[in-house]
Amino acid sequence: MTATVEANRRLPLATHGEIAAINLESARRRAWARFAQDERRPGVAETIVDHERLAAQFLGDLDALDRLEALASQFARVDDSSRAALVQAEVASTVHRFADARSHIARAALIGAPREAIERQTLAIDQACGVELDAVLAARRRIATKSGRLEDLVPLGAMLADLERFAEADAAYRQALYSYDDVSPFPFAWVCFQLGVLWGELVPVPDPKLAALWYRRAIAYVPGYVKARVHLAEICASQDRTGDAAALLLPALSSRDPEVRWRLADVLIAQGRFDEAETQLAAARSGFEDLLQRHLLAFADHAAEFYAGSGDDRQRALELARVNAANRPTRRALKQVQTIAACADEAAAAATSPTNLPGEVRRERHDLLY
Amino acid sequence: MSDHVDGPRSIGDPTADLTDLFAFTSPENPARTVLAACVFPSAGEDAIFSNVIDHSIAVRPVTVAGVGNAAKFVPGSEEIRFSFRFEVLKRDAAGKAIQRGVCKLPDGRELVLTVNDENGASTPEGDVRVFAGLRSDPFYLAWTFAELKKVPNLLQHDNVLVMVVDFDTRRVLDPAKGSLFGAIAETVPLPQPPGRIGHPVARIDWIGRPEQTNIRLNNPGVPGDDIRDLWNQQTPFNIAKELQPMFLRRLTDSFRNYDMRDGKPDWTPEALAANANVFLDDFLLFDVAKPITDQSHLEIEKSTISGRSYQTGGGRTVDANVIDILVTWLVNHDREFLQGGATQATKPGMKVFPYFATPNMELQTVAGSVELAAAPEAVWSVIGQFNLEWHPAVARVRLTGTGIGQLRALGTIDGREIVERLEEIDSAKRWYRYALVAGVPASRYTGTIDVKPNGSGSIADWRVDFLASKQPDIVVRDMVSTLINTGLGSLKLRFGAAR
Repeated sequence: MTATVEANRRLPLATHGEIAAINLESARRRAWARFAQDERRPGVAETIVDHERLAAQFLGDLDALDRLEALASQFARVDDSSRAALVQAEVASTVHRFADARSHIARAALIGAPREAIERQTLAIDQACGVELDAVLAARRRIATKSGRLEDLVPLGAMLADLERFAEADAAYRQALYSYDDVSPFPFAWVCFQLGVLWGELVPVPDPKLAALWYRRAIAYVPGYVKARVHLAEICASQDRTGDAAALLLPALSSRDPEVRWRLADVLIAQGRFDEAETQLAAARSGFEDLLQRHLLAFADHAAEFYAGSGDDRQRALELARVNAANRPTRRALKQVQTIAACADEAAAAATSPTNLPGEVRRERHDLLY
Repeated sequence: MSDHVDGPRSIGDPTADLTDLFAFTSPENPARTVLAACVFPSAGEDAIFSNVIDHSIAVRPVTVAGVGNAAKFVPGSEEIRFSFRFEVLKRDAAGKAIQRGVCKLPDGRELVLTVNDENGASTPEGDVRVFAGLRSDPFYLAWTFAELKKVPNLLQHDNVLVMVVDFDTRRVLDPAKGSLFGAIAETVPLPQPPGRIGHPVARIDWIGRPEQTNIRLNNPGVPGDDIRDLWNQQTPFNIAKELQPMFLRRLTDSFRNYDMRDGKPDWTPEALAANANVFLDDFLLFDVAKPITDQSHLEIEKSTISGRSYQTGGGRTVDANVIDILVTWLVNHDREFLQGGATQATKPGMKVFPYFATPNMELQTVAGSVELAAAPEAVWSVIGQFNLEWHPAVARVRLTGTGIGQLRALGTIDGREIVERLEEIDSAKRWYRYALVAGVPASRYTGTIDVKPNGSGSIADWRVDFLASKQPDIVVRDMVSTLINTGLGSLKLRFGAAR
């Protein structure tokens, strides 16, 4: 579908993203207060996991990951049931500690966790790690067909995209949009973002116009959607619309996501504002290192991209890409290692040459993400 | 992060989730009736309404069509409906976010209201007054239903969003034609404008009597699929005929199970079936010609099933102990009152409009900590100075007085002035505490700064507890976080970070 045709379609109404963000934050803090009153109260720790993941995913609140780690350890201290093991698994999986997550899941199974919860988490980990892909796809299809619900259709779409079955992935995402029968903007924004990534970064011949349309829709649903802003800003920057790119990034600066500063630095460089760009790059570098110190596996892939590009440290990039590939040897993770390694070799060969390599590396980025 | 934060599991909008429905005589004026509905369980302190949901309370006249084991309440077709819709946020002159809404009255008039305005909005004639906003959750639940074990109130300190309609009973309900009514509340998405993709959703949630779904239909002691979503998709006052036998079977099984929770059968099979029939017609019964009290909830149903005329107005007041009334009825047929582990909600209702207690606010904390390479004494010699001159966000300081009670007026680089008072200081322990006087939209604002040894270096801690006031909590939190993080960050530059 072309961007022009797609632009004529109007998406479903949802609660305004600003209201939803305020309500998420309000409910998130209340859930923590309930946890403080009684850590073992049924459902509270699980609710916190949901809220914190939403905050991380849609609001760019990366502190949510620290809070999740704190929750998991605090809960495990007071609860020896399968609930705590499942929460630990979910948190470990969220920060890409997949081996830990699998061991928590195994323990949860031993102490009687519901089979459905075990299967759901195992499936998510297998998909993220790129193992048993045929079995994962079959399970995703079975689950999505049975429920027909957005929360099952989006992972199916992501799985199909991983397998480079792009038309089917697009269909699954669109079905998800049609199927949702509530008014939260987060699920709609999620699907729009996935479609943006699909058309902007995964298909062999990207369609930046169509991708930009989906990212704009994601931002229209949730104005504070940091990842969508970053991706759309990249498209704007690639089309020399640096003013538009900066306008997208500036409101996201408070998120502490270093990728915002990294992309802003790229924009500033394109605008010839080198001193300001250097400040942003330093902040991005420090932000990535801070995150890597706390959640190495969660940020290894994005930090590798950063160092392979504007971060300008190919050895660090390669080191991080390898860490990521060892943790989850997906096609894209392995390709990232190869690409960075090749660039590092070229860089070594061209060490005496004034050729500017970072730009070339950056152009590979669309192959590296997701 | 990469792609597989697997997306929202809490997939719905909590503002569409109805928690309770109330119908009672106004404590302020017996000639007026109050209807109220709540949404958003555990809403926290800043929650606001969705702008794409129509929240309605609908009332229909009801007649008693049978008594005893043939007990039956039949709703009429005439409907009296109050519908609330809310807008996106707007900013007032001071930049504060406000939400406005409209309540459409049964006769088509519209009342514009501002969310959280305790005075609400009234018609010029004064026959209808409405309120919408955050309040303390009036419900309390102090049982676990798997084992019927008493526990403390599971909703203690919770808030909900409440919509209240207070009206002249005679003018709105015309009780001369019949004084018995049934009420429901429902949340329905606004119609999708033409050309939008997706399918129309008739309804997200609805409620009649309390606990139709969670306790009666989803009794943990009864095996079977969870049918609550299916129930929520039914049309109030008109449950799908083909599904009625299934719901009836589930209610009967559930009631049989509750009857035996104390090991004693208190109900005949016929009476259990009569209960199932009555509860299948799920609307909150109230009679405006009879007294509605904290104890009268379900009395209309119970008396009618028992084969006698009802004596009260039933309904549901803000403080009614609806769970224990229901549990007692189901488990032992009112033989002995079963009191759960709590006897009231976090806060009792109010006797004046808007009748629901003010929201619960909890002290918020922002804390930061930094590990430094310098010895505690060196760090304390700088940050132990109450003047805060070391802080990069402070442009100027004016001190008034000395010692405990000393005031510092801090001019920040972004042009604000914050005034704080020294409350306590212990230089030997390298610690001081201060309180806010002015400049931050918060009350009960206290801060502590201290320095502790940490190997060959030290740790500086800064903690602020506060209650946001006049601004959303998140605004104050951001303000305080920035102050703390900037300050502690500057210490790292000054003293070096510990390795």
